Amino acid sequence: MKLNRKQLIGLIIGLIGLIIPFFLSIEGLSYAGHVALGIFFLAAAFWMLEPFPIYATSVLVIFLQILLLSKQGFLFQEDSAAYIPDAYTAFIGTLASPIIILFLGGFVLADAAVKYNLDRNLTRILLSPFGSKPGSILLGLMVVTALLSAFMSNTATTAMMMTVILPIMARIGKTDPLRIGLALSIPFAANIGGITTPIGTPPNAVVLGALSNQGINIPFGEWMILATPLVVIALLFAWILLLKMFKPEASSIEIDMSGKFNTSQNAIILYVAFGLTVLFWVTESLHGIKSAIIALIPVVFLTLTGVVTKEDIRKLPWEVLWLVAGGISLGISMKSTGLAEWIVGSIEWNSFGTISLLIVFAAVAVLMSNFLSNTVTATLLIPLAVSLATSGIAGEGFNLVIVSLVIGVSASLAMMLPISTPPNAIAMSTGTIKTSNMAKAGISIGLFGIVLVVIYALFYWPIILN
Amino acid sequence: MDHQIYILVVEDELEVMDALVNDLEQFEKFFPVESANSAEEARNVVNEIYNAGNEVGLILCDHVMPGQNGVDFLIELEKYLDQHSAKKVLVTGQAGLEDTIQAINNAHLDYYIAKPWTKELLEDVVIAQLTNFVMQRHYNPMQFMMILDSVRLSEYMRTNHITDH
Repeated sequence: MKLNRKQLIGLIIGLIGLIIPFFLSIEGLSYAGHVALGIFFLAAAFWMLEPFPIYATSVLVIFLQILLLSKQGFLFQEDSAAYIPDAYTAFIGTLASPIIILFLGGFVLADAAVKYNLDRNLTRILLSPFGSKPGSILLGLMVVTALLSAFMSNTATTAMMMTVILPIMARIGKTDPLRIGLALSIPFAANIGGITTPIGTPPNAVVLGALSNQGINIPFGEWMILATPLVVIALLFAWILLLKMFKPEASSIEIDMSGKFNTSQNAIILYVAFGLTVLFWVTESLHGIKSAIIALIPVVFLTLTGVVTKEDIRKLPWEVLWLVAGGISLGISMKSTGLAEWIVGSIEWNSFGTISLLIVFAAVAVLMSNFLSNTVTATLLIPLAVSLATSGIAGEGFNLVIVSLVIGVSASLAMMLPISTPPNAIAMSTGTIKTSNMAKAGISIGLFGIVLVVIYALFYWPIILN
Repeated sequence: MDHQIYILVVEDELEVMDALVNDLEQFEKFFPVESANSAEEARNVVNEIYNAGNEVGLILCDHVMPGQNGVDFLIELEKYLDQHSAKKVLVTGQAGLEDTIQAINNAHLDYYIAKPWTKELLEDVVIAQLTNFVMQRHYNPMQFMMILDSVRLSEYMRTNHITDH
């Protein structure tokens, strides 16, 4: 294992960060809070500078919490006035928390959809009404991408859509700016589309996990009601932006999408399972069955019927589940040791006011996740927001759910650089776009996104939530 | 990229070698091209490449050469390279049926280009074979999207569970 300079610095800062709080005595922070602060420093340094893969850091975080903060660990075997340690099962339990199971269901569905070409065939059908004018094709591609990435990973959706647009790009003139517009439209739409549903992208899981730690459950359908109007506006903005920035020269483009739906028995079982699961998810508020329970429908049916095999299960992106679980686990300790409250208490929030606080959280989330993993951004920011809201320091208007949504959604609106998200990296790798193209368009979307999120947080989300 | 994937050209006639290397120009930036005039020299080149921690992704090999012939060399290499399965292409006008069968059965020949070749065909074959190679070896497809078959690499990413983080 070779570490580059940045990674080495991350490793050193992380280790020092872990140890330092043991030698300090911070007033107003319990001893357990000191330990949790050390783990938080380590996690932040490791997640940001990546001396190790981020999923590995997540498991390390869970392990360190068990060793140092659980009832079965070295330091806190007895309850005390300052800290009542959680059992170690609370930490490893995050690996099977409802939100993880929800994602597992989503993964199984998405992977089966890819296996039986459902994603590609849906694209074919959904694109056909958009005709052949460059502008409307671009819109069609973005709508379909966003729709798919609401249920599949943004990255897999981008990869699939690349197979659709690369042949189009090869047919249009080498100097036609439309090529750049097309190449950017897919990752942008995928990043934005991921916001639509709880399973769309991991930062959503972090939001829901943190809220459920607070005893707040947002049904699947309600999340969609909260998120979809924002997604639609952001998508339209991105479409207009790309059309204006990269005016197409070609007057019409053709998409050659031949193929037909797989009608094998397995494929039909998948279609039914997909339809049923999504139907039950979006109607959660009608029947009250929790989305994590519904998520077991595809897992059960698709494995019983052999539509999803042992090999398919092995290939699921388990590391994403670890990543999310590590974040949820860290949130537990930050709350129970009083660390989050202390961090929050050490800043003069009163001087900010609700609106500027929301703007700050949105802006910081967009900024951070341009450089960091979206999930890590959400993981590091949400515990702060949660304690800010639950402590009441920030005042009455500062709603827990709203500020969590602000962070979660903003983390998905960062798309300035190739490293911002894996879909951006894929688009960049085609060699069609320059970093400056992506940066200009991505900054515009980021800034617009911050404004949009704050407007929704002030005017729309409160109506839905109350 | 610290790890290099080489294209190796084995050809005894200098003019032909030059023409081949010329036609491979567009790949140089991503896949350094090494050349050898005989099987013996090629063996040394292969050793050097692997000893430096790099690997051969594609071999374009003539058949009729002084010393060991191309097919025999490829068969030997197949054993030597073991799981590293470099893609093997014969570029020749003179491999008979017998030799060709040998190459397919014992050297896992991946393609046969008959001389004279066209630049277009050569490029297509190199792109297809190197795309196979990087997918088979599970290299990060993104670093090759610009030069290899980007549609197939995208499809590979779609079906290989890459995901958000």
